[in-house]
Amino acid sequence: MSHPPGDARQVPHSSKACRRLFGPVDSEQLRLDCDALMASCVQEARRRWNFDFVTETPLEGNFAWERVLGLGLPKLYLSPGPCGGRDDTGGGRRPSPSTALLQGIVAQEDHVDLSLSCTLVPRSSEPPEESPGAPGTSQSRKRRQTSMTDFYHSKRRLVFCKRKP
Amino acid sequence: MELLCCEVDPVRRAVPDRSLLDDRVLQNLLTIEERYLPQCSYFKCVQKDIQPYMRRMVATWMLEVCEEQKCEEEVFPLAMNYLDRFLAGVPTPKTHLQLLGAVCMFLASKLKETIPLTAEKLCIYTDNSIKPQELLEWELVVLGKLKWNLAAVTPHDFIEHILRKLPQQREKLPLIRKHTQTFIALCATDFKFAMYPPSMIATGSVGAAICGLQQDEEVSSLTCDALTELLAKITNTDVDCLKACQEQIEAVLLNSLQQFRQEQRDGSKSEDELDQATTPTDVRDINL
Repeated sequence: MSHPPGDARQVPHSSKACRRLFGPVDSEQLRLDCDALMASCVQEARRRWNFDFVTETPLEGNFAWERVLGLGLPKLYLSPGPCGGRDDTGGGRRPSPSTALLQGIVAQEDHVDLSLSCTLVPRSSEPPEESPGAPGTSQSRKRRQTSMTDFYHSKRRLVFCKRKP
Repeated sequence: MELLCCEVDPVRRAVPDRSLLDDRVLQNLLTIEERYLPQCSYFKCVQKDIQPYMRRMVATWMLEVCEEQKCEEEVFPLAMNYLDRFLAGVPTPKTHLQLLGAVCMFLASKLKETIPLTAEKLCIYTDNSIKPQELLEWELVVLGKLKWNLAAVTPHDFIEHILRKLPQQREKLPLIRKHTQTFIALCATDFKFAMYPPSMIATGSVGAAICGLQQDEEVSSLTCDALTELLAKITNTDVDCLKACQEQIEAVLLNSLQQFRQEQRDGSKSEDELDQATTPTDVRDINL
């Protein structure tokens, strides 16, 4: 467990602030509640974005999802792998259901340039605007994702483009 | 050859950016601040296990940790904002409350500090009743429930906007600022301020700070009433609401001081309990 160099903020020995407030904590209960709440977050996000974040599959809904090539994002933002920016525990976190899945997938590493973008499908027939957040996407993005699901499995990072109101 | 050795503060701070103090910024803050308020008075409508005094306990603990770790002033009120917003949506057993407090400090510290609090350190402060791994898992839960919406407006965002508009002697400002920050921390420990707009808490705290200091020395050329009217104009607050808010802040301070003195007199109390007084250390220095 490394503290950043120059960290003058060690916990003083016998600090009175070190105390438990509400008795013993049931780790098992914490884990169960954590999983239940994460599942509800995932469900909420799934409804909100019509996208299954666990299997990384687009669903029917207001947003049209499509693959984006070559965003030039640093790898840090793409992979939750071993060197991902989480050094404050010294590693060893229990993978939650979705990260477990993602880690297995990201291990392939060969698709790190790929990303997903989504656009709100306009209710009128007018085509969606080209978004500056997703260079290289074509105008004809609407509903194309159904034929491209194979690629979605390689990605976790989502780029939410500008939504049309 | 002469060598010069300078010991610098290990924490690097950006110098204040004057362009962030113009009126456009203030107006934007006032427009968006309500978005970050908790959605309901959760003791009535969401929580079954958690009582108001438990929120005060966890808030006092969080404030102690933030002070001991010399966190930036905004970290504590911001962490309380996260805690209140989470509790307004998720029924939570009281045994999870300290973990949540730690998670909220973890997040607020990451957002506001150059050297954030580490997960290990926070776990030590819970007397190792939680593990770093649990803290990180719950961090994701809290982030999800807050919809990753972390850049909440806090009363601190308004302090400089308000102070620069007061006809104030420059040399009194640091003291006024310090007392204002203490009042803001005090408000964050008390649930009745949780649903107040941050601008009102900031304005009321500046008012309470100046009026309080005024009793000992001349810090402002204005009378308290004139000051309140000016303050109300600055943040577009209703004068009567502001007066009521300021009075509440002063009452909370008085209450905290009495409680502190009571506990000091009470010889039978152990030192441990004494330290759990709901008064932030700085407030104890304020002379009424």
